[in-house]
Amino acid sequence: MPVAHNLSRMAAIVGAAESNEIGFTPERGLRITSLQHHIEAIKNVCDYTGIPISDIEGIFSAGWSSELAEHLGLRPNYIDTTSVGGCSFQIHVHHALAAIAAGIIDVALVSHGEAGRSYRGQGGRGGGGRGEVSPGELATAAYGTFGAPSQYAHAMVRHMHAFGTTPEDFAHVAVVTRQWAMLNPRAVMFSKETDPNGGPITVESVQNGPMIAWPMTISHCCLVCDHGGAVIVARPEIAHSLKTQPVWIAGAGESMGHSNIVEMADFTATSAAQSSRIAYEMAGLGPQDMDMAMIYDSFTITAAITAEMLGLVPRGKGHTLWKEGHAAPGGDLPINTNGGGLSFNHSGMYGMQLLIEAYRQLSGTAEDGVNGIEGKQTSASTCVVNGTGGTLSTTGTLVLESN
Amino acid sequence: MAYNKPVPRKGQHHEPFWEGAKQGKLMVPRCNDCGRVHWYPRLICPYCHSTNLDWTQASGEGTLYTYAVQHRAFGGWGEEAPYVTAYVDLLEGDRMMTVLRGVDPSRPQDIQIGCKVRVEFEKVDDETFLPFWRVVED
Repeated sequence: MPVAHNLSRMAAIVGAAESNEIGFTPERGLRITSLQHHIEAIKNVCDYTGIPISDIEGIFSAGWSSELAEHLGLRPNYIDTTSVGGCSFQIHVHHALAAIAAGIIDVALVSHGEAGRSYRGQGGRGGGGRGEVSPGELATAAYGTFGAPSQYAHAMVRHMHAFGTTPEDFAHVAVVTRQWAMLNPRAVMFSKETDPNGGPITVESVQNGPMIAWPMTISHCCLVCDHGGAVIVARPEIAHSLKTQPVWIAGAGESMGHSNIVEMADFTATSAAQSSRIAYEMAGLGPQDMDMAMIYDSFTITAAITAEMLGLVPRGKGHTLWKEGHAAPGGDLPINTNGGGLSFNHSGMYGMQLLIEAYRQLSGTAEDGVNGIEGKQTSASTCVVNGTGGTLSTTGTLVLESN
Repeated sequence: MAYNKPVPRKGQHHEPFWEGAKQGKLMVPRCNDCGRVHWYPRLICPYCHSTNLDWTQASGEGTLYTYAVQHRAFGGWGEEAPYVTAYVDLLEGDRMMTVLRGVDPSRPQDIQIGCKVRVEFEKVDDETFLPFWRVVED
């Protein structure tokens, strides 16, 4: 495929921020709307970078862009509202990179706001009305599945069959990810004080938890939280002029395998193989060059399969990164250093949480140590970030570098 | 007892499927140009992009691709939980979802991926029958 010019490092993420109150907010007596999460995060990221809101030229969000621009009184000249599930935000960064490299805009805002817990079960924001019958409805509606866990369990069983893995193998993903959450005071599962189910867990306690969809107990499944977050992407001249540390977009790629999982050819393989190949090629780097990884962990199986797709580990061996401690605090390939969707925060679409933590790690601002506890800052200067949307459907991969 | 679980709405291009189901036949879309069967029904062949599509009666035989056991369910399905959901590969090609019959949800490790399955139909009302798959002896 001919490439007009390589987009590598033609833009940087220059700042990242969250909304003021995230996680299990109803339990703290709060009721925050998705719009409020967006606006707080946007205000915070603009304060952080010193870029005035009025300087935003391009607006990127999963279905909210026109409403956000209006709310902020902006007249953007680049509008992208791609909404393909949790990887939308990796894809927004890819699109922002392209728009900046093309010379259309200099400063792009990517925003996320999702009251996934406060307004649980009241429906997400998607496209317009769907009065027509979707053909996929005929394929799945009658057959007793309820949301993501009921479907992802089929992928874990297929992986167990194909590679001889066990539910206990995948439980290690939950256990190690919890170890990271215990270094992050903003994580829902930071401690017994932040949530009765917080603090340390073991493979045994994971496996003894309530069964959701065999072979997945509840600790194989992500949290359901509130979250808002935003990042700003800018061209190099601007990135160098700011007070914040730029994190360079060395590579970006996106792809999809299917929309409805009934169309997934191999339940143990996602389009992250394709999106990461494109991103690595753009970066001129490979999986062996990555110091850390931020991998969408809607479920333990999602993280394990994706690690394989990203080339970090051979096929069928994804779980070993966690089981053997490589991914853990102090390990040689830290993964999901914020505590993941499993133990930090997952709002329905988790891609923004991935981006914020990757920015913080590579900009040296991830230290959340408080009250004498150890922080989660690593020495990583390269990070592969992979979002997964839908039902193992869509993927967006970024290769980020700190210098 | 009246059928109390979700039923797909009848889309305007799916009449042969529903008519076949009433007669105990599994009707699936097939491309007249490339000859391949696909599921779910399309307006265009997903393999060769021909619009010369027709319906054909499938054998109703297949093999188990993967499965799970649902412990959290609601409505009519809530009364049946736990139960086994599965994907089956049709003898003719492509894949269907089902709630799997003829298996013990309390012993999921005994279910064999690759085992033979056969379709059967459950009555919703006089006009509506739904396919489900059952594990059968080889």
